[in-house]
Amino acid sequence: MTFADIVNLTLNGLISGMLVALPALAVSLVYGLARFPNAATGDVVSTGGYAGLFAYTASGSLLAAGAGAAAIGALVGLASYYLAFRAILRRSVITSLLTSIGVGFVIRALLGVMFGHQPRTFDMPITRAARWHGVMLNPTDGQLVLVTLAVLAIVFTLLYGTSMGRKMRALADDADLARVSGIGVERSMVTMWALTGAVCGIAGMMVGVRTVVSPDAGWDTLLPAFAAAVVGGLGNPLGAVVGAILLGVLQEWSTPLVGFVYKIALAYVVMLVVLLIRPQGLFNRVQGVR
Amino acid sequence: MDRRKFVTLTSAALGLAPWARSSWAQQGVFRIGSLNPITGAGSPYGTGMLKAIQIGSAEVNDAGGAGGVKLEVYAEDSQTSPQAAVLGAKKLIGVNQVRAMLGVWSSGESLAVIPLTNDAGMILMNTAGAPALSAPPVNAKLLSFRLQATNDRFGRAFAQIAKREGFKRPALMAFNNASGIGNTEGFRKAWEAQGGQIVASVVYEPNRPTYRSEVQQVLRANPDVIVTGSYLTDTELLLRAWYETGQQVRWIVPGWAAGPDLIKAVGSQVAEGMISVESISDEGAPSYESFVSRFLQQTGMRAQDNVYATMAYDEVILLALGLQAVGPNATSAVLAAKIHELGNPGGTEVYRYADGKKLLAAGKKVTYVGASSRLNFDQYNDVTPDFAASFAQSGQFVRKYVVKL
Repeated sequence: MTFADIVNLTLNGLISGMLVALPALAVSLVYGLARFPNAATGDVVSTGGYAGLFAYTASGSLLAAGAGAAAIGALVGLASYYLAFRAILRRSVITSLLTSIGVGFVIRALLGVMFGHQPRTFDMPITRAARWHGVMLNPTDGQLVLVTLAVLAIVFTLLYGTSMGRKMRALADDADLARVSGIGVERSMVTMWALTGAVCGIAGMMVGVRTVVSPDAGWDTLLPAFAAAVVGGLGNPLGAVVGAILLGVLQEWSTPLVGFVYKIALAYVVMLVVLLIRPQGLFNRVQGVR
Repeated sequence: MDRRKFVTLTSAALGLAPWARSSWAQQGVFRIGSLNPITGAGSPYGTGMLKAIQIGSAEVNDAGGAGGVKLEVYAEDSQTSPQAAVLGAKKLIGVNQVRAMLGVWSSGESLAVIPLTNDAGMILMNTAGAPALSAPPVNAKLLSFRLQATNDRFGRAFAQIAKREGFKRPALMAFNNASGIGNTEGFRKAWEAQGGQIVASVVYEPNRPTYRSEVQQVLRANPDVIVTGSYLTDTELLLRAWYETGQQVRWIVPGWAAGPDLIKAVGSQVAEGMISVESISDEGAPSYESFVSRFLQQTGMRAQDNVYATMAYDEVILLALGLQAVGPNATSAVLAAKIHELGNPGGTEVYRYADGKKLLAAGKKVTYVGASSRLNFDQYNDVTPDFAASFAQSGQFVRKYVVKL
């Protein structure tokens, strides 16, 4: 095992982390505002994969694919809010979680009925990686990193640089206090669901470009996304992204020691350790309640 | 009629309906459970398998049924998942009261379902590869029939092909399940028995977004060929990860992973030279020709692209010939012994159900020559088909030669 091998492992970890980062961000955003872990996240990701694929096939441009995936993802996010989550807004976490599982099943079944279960792929040539002293850099991965960073930049600008973002954060912080200060819940919710839908949509397109588009593709990203969101601190958008990348890299680094079968378990071991030592997650502060 | 009377009568009718139906069912119908992977990793094959089972039972019913009963097919989606397969099997056995389970696809599903079918004392027919399905305790009752070659046999075929192609430094990559590992371990056994050495070996987890680290680790050992026990989606990701590195290596991949879909997914340039190994249908057999044309006509799908559909078809015909021979009320053990006999040489060779039925009715001994292979069940009711080595050449797999074990 040379130094270049370790660098390669790190890069591979970064990439798998990046693929999980956006779904994790979506999980965290929903948790922040609606206060439940959204189990339908993965299925919105799958939908984004199909939207991206069709937009790409029609236009031949990845940018258009991204836009299409984001738009359809946002629509699905909004639809899930209006048709399901709005009705149970202030119910218990269990009710919301079960509802989201149901929403996920509906989306997956619809995708299956509409497009079949045959996995599909983006018709893109596979590129050779650039080699530099044994370190391999792939141009497609470069694009993937750029897209992820761009999405993150947009989301964080929205959250921290606009008044809507400030309202959303205020609601996430203390919903009752925000409400008595005159912040409308409805508009923030609508924005949040559209935003997370769009984020999931783009994530779905990226997963589709890297792997395959199928009704189950997004489901596979759900558990890692949950783990990342928990490690980073549920409800903390930055934490979710850092958590995803951290878990991705740690998993790859562990492979020389534990092999490839057990690297997945490692993510959950890390999650357990974090929950034991810092139950609020790596990036959340403990807040006193008076 | 007043409302009260209406309600009473309707509920009485509704209550009696299933009663009436089941007594009718017990007289003239033999129910088959068709437990196929309509969704999940097996989805490219599952729908075709179900259609094949329906085509087979229609053929049987058109010929007047089997042993005086008609076949009735009840289908469930196994989702290519052992859990879903068990749920589906429980429903088929408990609710639909099927008396044989056909079309079970993968090893994981078959291993999960076989305790249920054994407990219910019914025939199970699968197309799985895992060696564990052959011997006791799993198949102690010998009620399970396997229409696909075992992974062990696949491994042996791989080893023969690797030797013939002159490879010296094989590496193994296996999907972490009974079938994936069964394949590569079968290869390892056969290869090491020839005095060869394996240079690297990796078992990988399903559903990962990339297998780059896994492939890079194997490539570090500088193999000249990578032998896999893999499925379609993960094979695509393996090839992607390998092609990126630019390192020269050849691939030997099982046929269920390496078909036209794989080439479409990775492109002809990446796939070029790859070797796909597949157990082959008995292509000269009239049973095969007749099934292929009916399958195309009724489903619009090509049986050539779905070897499992052909196997599923044979499952129905075998079961029906068995029923015809021993009658629908014989015990499963008797039925299984008869099916074993029907799948082995020694009788008059038949290719269609109707011909077999006629001979059986006349008290003759019959050998069914399957559309999927010549069958030849061994002592565990596993088939021994021949294998074809196909090479990817400018965008399609071209069969080069046939390997006999």
